Amino acid sequence: MRIICPYCGERELGEFTYLGDAKPQRPAADAGEDAVYDYVYLRDNIAGVMSEHWYHGGGCRAWLKVTRNTLTHEISAVEPAAGVGAAKVGA
Amino acid sequence: MVAGAQTHRLANGGVIDRSTSLSFRFDGKTLLGFQGDTLASALVANGVKLVGRSFKYHRPRGILTAGSEEPNALVELRTGARREANTKATTAELYEGLEAASQNRWPSLNFDVMSVNQLFAPIFVAGFYYKTFMWPAKFWETIYEPAIRRAAGLGRAAGVSDPDHYDKAWAHCDVVIAGSGPTGLAAALAAGRSGARVILCEEDFVLGGRLLADGGTIDGLPAAEWVARTVAELEAMPDVRIMTRTTLFGVYDGGTYGAIERVNDHLPVPPEHQVRQRLWRIVAKRCVVAAGSIERPIVFAGNDTPGVMMASAMRSYINRYAAAPARRIALFTNNEDGWRTAETAIAAGLQVAAVIDARPDVSPAHRSLASKAGFPVLHGSVSGVDGGKNGVRKISVALTGGARAEAEADGLAVSGGWNPAVGLTSYHRGRPKWRDDIAAFVPDGAPPGMIAAGAANGAFGLGACLREGFEAGAVAARDAGRSGNIGSMPVADDEAFSLTPLWHVAGKGKAFVDQQHDVTASDVELAQREGFESVEHLKRYTTLGMATDQGKTSNVAGLAIMAAVTGKSIPETGTTIYRPPYVPVAIGAFAGHHRDENFHATRLTPSHQWAAEQGAVFVDTGLWKRAQWYPRAGEKDWLESVTREVKAVRSGVGFCDVSTLGKIDVHGPDAGAFLDRVYINAFSSLAVGKARYGLMLREDGIVYDDGTTSRLAEDHYFLTTTTAKAGLVMQHLEFCRQVLFPELDVQLTSVSDQWAQFSIAGPKTRDLLKEIVDPAEDLSNEGFPFMGAREVKLRGGLKARLFRISFSGEMAFEISVPARYGEAMARNLMIAGKPFGVTPYGTEALGVMRIEKGHVAGPELNGTTTAGDLGLGKMMSTKKDFIGRVMAGREALVAPDRQVVVGIKPTDKARRLRSGAHIIPKGETPGPGNDQGYVTSVCFSPVLDQWIGLGLVERGRERIGEIVRAHDPLRGEDYDVELCNSVFYDPDGGRQRG
Amino acid sequence: MADFSWDVRSPLDRALVAGRYGAQGDVGVSLTEIRNFDLVQVMARRGQAGEMIAAAKARFGVGAPETPKAVSASDATLIWSGPDQFFVLSKGGKHTMESLTPGFAGSASLSDQSHARALISISGEKARAIFAKLSSIDLHPDVFGVGTAAATSMDHTSVTLWRGGDRDGQAVFNLLVFATFAESLWHTILDSAAEYGATIGHSEDL
Repeated sequence: MRIICPYCGERELGEFTYLGDAKPQRPAADAGEDAVYDYVYLRDNIAGVMSEHWYHGGGCRAWLKVTRNTLTHEISAVEPAAGVGAAKVGA
Repeated sequence: MVAGAQTHRLANGGVIDRSTSLSFRFDGKTLLGFQGDTLASALVANGVKLVGRSFKYHRPRGILTAGSEEPNALVELRTGARREANTKATTAELYEGLEAASQNRWPSLNFDVMSVNQLFAPIFVAGFYYKTFMWPAKFWETIYEPAIRRAAGLGRAAGVSDPDHYDKAWAHCDVVIAGSGPTGLAAALAAGRSGARVILCEEDFVLGGRLLADGGTIDGLPAAEWVARTVAELEAMPDVRIMTRTTLFGVYDGGTYGAIERVNDHLPVPPEHQVRQRLWRIVAKRCVVAAGSIERPIVFAGNDTPGVMMASAMRSYINRYAAAPARRIALFTNNEDGWRTAETAIAAGLQVAAVIDARPDVSPAHRSLASKAGFPVLHGSVSGVDGGKNGVRKISVALTGGARAEAEADGLAVSGGWNPAVGLTSYHRGRPKWRDDIAAFVPDGAPPGMIAAGAANGAFGLGACLREGFEAGAVAARDAGRSGNIGSMPVADDEAFSLTPLWHVAGKGKAFVDQQHDVTASDVELAQREGFESVEHLKRYTTLGMATDQGKTSNVAGLAIMAAVTGKSIPETGTTIYRPPYVPVAIGAFAGHHRDENFHATRLTPSHQWAAEQGAVFVDTGLWKRAQWYPRAGEKDWLESVTREVKAVRSGVGFCDVSTLGKIDVHGPDAGAFLDRVYINAFSSLAVGKARYGLMLREDGIVYDDGTTSRLAEDHYFLTTTTAKAGLVMQHLEFCRQVLFPELDVQLTSVSDQWAQFSIAGPKTRDLLKEIVDPAEDLSNEGFPFMGAREVKLRGGLKARLFRISFSGEMAFEISVPARYGEAMARNLMIAGKPFGVTPYGTEALGVMRIEKGHVAGPELNGTTTAGDLGLGKMMSTKKDFIGRVMAGREALVAPDRQVVVGIKPTDKARRLRSGAHIIPKGETPGPGNDQGYVTSVCFSPVLDQWIGLGLVERGRERIGEIVRAHDPLRGEDYDVELCNSVFYDPDGGRQRG
Repeated sequence: MADFSWDVRSPLDRALVAGRYGAQGDVGVSLTEIRNFDLVQVMARRGQAGEMIAAAKARFGVGAPETPKAVSASDATLIWSGPDQFFVLSKGGKHTMESLTPGFAGSASLSDQSHARALISISGEKARAIFAKLSSIDLHPDVFGVGTAAATSMDHTSVTLWRGGDRDGQAVFNLLVFATFAESLWHTILDSAAEYGATIGHSEDL
């Protein structure tokens, strides 16, 4: 599999580390145990298009959000995680 | 011994170099061949028919094909450590001094004791093992399996380490082309002319594919001349790379292809500094599959007799190698193409005994050929073969209409039609589709970016191959963004093709479908009767197609026979899943450079060279080599050395390279806030110039890592991790920074390799440091208190970072210098510490002192423990959110009966404690119900003069003083131990603060 | 008082043996370790990428690379190392951590990496053939021209690779390798180079 890193270009799978479903959002500090439980343990396992976190640890160290079809491995979009490129946003 | 004459070498022709004679040995007999021969063609030229014995029945077998689809002619190639079993004689290039031996026979190929298996053949049917060796169960390992292993099987592995080197490489191109027959060459021409970067892979050592055997006329030129002209044009293109001896064997996601290049398999030994084989990962925007097709056998009784050969293979031997597989050839065909073998034989001056044609009609041209050459055309099928290990003698024919006929011949050519090589196009779980007109499976779509063309796509005519190849090459290049002028397409006529499907001729005697695995037509029928009708069941029950040839000549025939007995069509019966590799690939090639000491990358500490000079014993810790202890002359074992090192530290001073700890610079205005969220304890409140021990949890509340972090400036922290987790913690922190907390202004950099860090410990630490640190620096307890951290100047001006932290429980500092000074630091510590008896110590002594001091490490931070379990629950801040906070509060994670860290020591002071021993209450029977934990870490404590340890024990901290059993069934030990305070040494901590 | 010498030791000190290696005859590749350099990682603070680039321009006369490029200044090379960050590579003592810090105050965080990496320069007719065994990325001149940089991995080891100016008509590839991995990767490079014949040396010329 090859992933097009938005910063480095197309690279082979070995440079990346998979984390998993990128959909769950870390709950706010006061969200309570149920919300955190959902965040930590409940994951979709879609046979089809999924949004996933990948880490380009063997390259630019950017965390990426990869839209991938788990059946075909086709990757339709790769975007940086929110904080990558924060140097360009207003403080 | 005189080399055998090449009795079956034709006087003229062939793509061989008759001026280079090569001597080789087969089963100890010296023979001659020519440069350009394969082992198989050289054997054919020497009249050798019997090449091996079959897998199950030990039947005599010869050469069936002339390519990588060969099921029979498998040999042990080379000798000694380079001996390679199951090598196809049909693809092994001949070289001077080649040695090959036949397989699966004893004592000799001609007289093979195990051929008695044929007499027991009725019991060696499909499912034999499953049915026969059911019980008694204990007989399986002791009697059945060894006996079966002796009888069955193929070649022997060398049994010693492979002395040759292999490597792996990447290649990138616009278009990769599999196969250099007319289709592949035409594709390469079109793609190359359009300006594409092209890689053309050919598994053979000569380009041309079927043109080498079947010739033809292209663009008005004889095929060989056209090939030479085309190759010259391609070689002149700078971005076209032609790779012979290279098989494209697999298709992977994202346009990545696997190929194996047999760089030096054609030489006895690879030249110095060269590899035997190279594994290529080719990244291509497009792929043209021009892998051709494989002629398929017809299954009939005696079809495995040496001398029965594929019709196209016979043409290869005669035309390409000028070697006659037989002098009087019979041909059994169900299609027009097979007749070319009769034409070839006649042109080469060989006799044709008869043509047995299963079709109702034979063309007038072929009838006149028969009458001119004087051989009969028999309408019908071969029903049996007379002959044995010395080859075919007589062919029995069942004529259409019921009469019988015979033909005397020493070779039988068989053509059942052609199967496109659909492997590559089907590797993404693609299923080929059936085409009735050619009675064959053809690709039905392909993985993204791949185009099948020519015979691989079911186009068998030469003209059609050139057309499809050229178009595919042009389309592939265009899709890859190349648009140069592709010039004119090569042109040739298309041959007529007519075929009447015939898969299996019923008759007496064994008729083989899969010759490599000895699967017969009746095995397929038996599988159906026993309910294994699905092709995937058929495959596994009979092992059809599961040998190293992956059923290239047998799978479709097997399906056809299954279809016939079930009354279904072949497409209804379906195919099994195709999986790479297309040809066997040596594990050595997949390993490449990564074997022995290069199995993985190695990391060396900055003082490694110095430690090696001191005679340190090194231990692998992840990728690191770390000094484990420093033995001295006269010490009888590691324990004596380690004990000396510990005593030296506790009574004087010692130092240890701790550079393997992960080190991370945390910068930015929000660095403190960031650390507050990743550690359970607070860091924003840490004063500049101070260090603090921190504990990180996973989001599920389990401990992730620990280490000390120092604040070097308002916006700069220096964080350390454990050695084992250094990379993972960096990844985790980047996740926190980039994904979880993007609003924080914080920057992270690994500085693990920037700093050489040494722990200096023992009551005389300050004395040593005063020697090496600039006298202006105040190292007193007031000037540099416990948990202080700041930059200091060393004598001579070098700046270092000094941290007053202790893992040993002694008065201790850690000192960091830029890594290139690491070795000088080690040497200078030895000089500075000489008056105080400084002792370098390794990871073992480090471990002993941390256990004596009750510090947790890897065995306790084991992915199941909470901060509370480690006795660090009080560190958890209640004033802030941090990773793992909520989940750490779950009922089960704070339950009072959890297994927690506690000290453990045997009641018998002389007894050695072992980690892994289970803790069982006194008086209880050991068992899962009574298992209350286990011993995690042990050491011999020089201070206590006995073995001690840490353990995770249920309610351990409430049970101090209790005597329990350490039950160690693995080592057969059971003894009493006392649960005690985990801090065995200096529990008040006075020494490290002093 | 004891006498201390503070000699620096390259992480390749033990493994690097100057002279010929591998096949004799033509030299396929030159492997040169560059010693005595300063290397500082510069990382933009939140919302400060523009200021960081301006600060680089003020210091070096060229802007910091915003894409995987290596930009040459008169006495330094600025090499992209990730989003909103780059390395300043210069001759030892030229652009040290201390001297760079004031110019980037407020716009970037700096981390000294001078000792964290070994710098290896690889050139020669077979350089690309050797990199084919080490690197998964495409170094064809159309794709990886002079001044192209990449943060990538070789032998599972993170490296920074960039193409410098050609020398004697041959491409020159520069490689920053983590110091503790350097000896191991060096052996892998030697293994890859052996069949082509290598000439090995070290230099202080950046």
